[in-house]
Amino acid sequence: MHYKNILCLVLVLFSGTGFSTNYIDKKLSLKKWVVNENSSLSVNGSTNINKFSCVIPAYGRIDTITLHKSDDEKGIVLSGSIALSVSSFDCHNSGMTRQLQKTLNEKQFPLLHIRFLSLNRLPAITAKPQSITGAVDIEIAGVSKHFEINYQISQDGENGIDLLGSRQLNFSDFNLIPPTKLGGMIKTRDQLMVAFHLKIKAAG
Amino acid sequence: MKKILTTGLIAGCILFILSYGGLFLGVRFFPGLFVAYDNPLFNSNGSRDVLFYMHAFIISFALSWFWDRFKGLFHGTFVMRGLEFGLVYSIIALLPVMWISFSSLDITVVMVFSWFLYGLAQAVVAGLIFAKINP
Repeated sequence: MHYKNILCLVLVLFSGTGFSTNYIDKKLSLKKWVVNENSSLSVNGSTNINKFSCVIPAYGRIDTITLHKSDDEKGIVLSGSIALSVSSFDCHNSGMTRQLQKTLNEKQFPLLHIRFLSLNRLPAITAKPQSITGAVDIEIAGVSKHFEINYQISQDGENGIDLLGSRQLNFSDFNLIPPTKLGGMIKTRDQLMVAFHLKIKAAG
Repeated sequence: MKKILTTGLIAGCILFILSYGGLFLGVRFFPGLFVAYDNPLFNSNGSRDVLFYMHAFIISFALSWFWDRFKGLFHGTFVMRGLEFGLVYSIIALLPVMWISFSSLDITVVMVFSWFLYGLAQAVVAGLIFAKINP
């Protein structure tokens, strides 16, 4: 009987402070974003003789990103990722396409991963693009790196969300060696501009 | 033998400067011709760069031996002898190699043609050097 009273007291105290409901609210997902199969990714780079632009024109699958409020309620915590097939890159030149796939070590690491971690805020989504920032982990050739990304977020014509993220990366960030040809006379520069265009439908 | 090695070394040094200097200028001023080299068919990690730069000496020593063995067949001024020597090498050695390369590798006509001209120029220059210093 004594223990029952203590248990009741504890329950009353917890419910009185609202601990349990607040805790659950923070962890409840705000939204779910369904990443459409028409999402795309582009990689722009250069050599000492030309520029190249390689694209994965269509993601080809559907994935979900879940959004939560962060503990400090200032930012948004994301969970979810996309996995892109390195063999889907198209550099508009078969030799360059094969070279990029070889440089990214496609045979050993056929997938490139982008894991979404956070957004600094979630603005009201309108047709006018708005700038936000966020954090992602990008994994290429088995090496994962953390990056801050600049996004443009807007509403598309079909009540979906366009999320454009871009970031300059280096081959060397992922322990990759930019290719050189003809005894080093043709050199690929280390810097790459990676941009992804996610076409999203809000769900839930 | 000493003469073959000496002329080969001299020709190698001259061809090294002309070949890679010419290649450097070609990449600098005609970059469009070299875009097709961005292809995994060509070594891309630098592991064979030393071999690449040794080519001028390999061809010079080979041609030096060839010249010493057959120089009696080339007549006329040293310019004519050098030109004929370069053409003979190109027809006998380069043309069949270029033919089989184009037929079996994923390379362009422009690429093969430029290799042929590059080899012809190297052989003519080597021939002129041999005709001058080992007549």
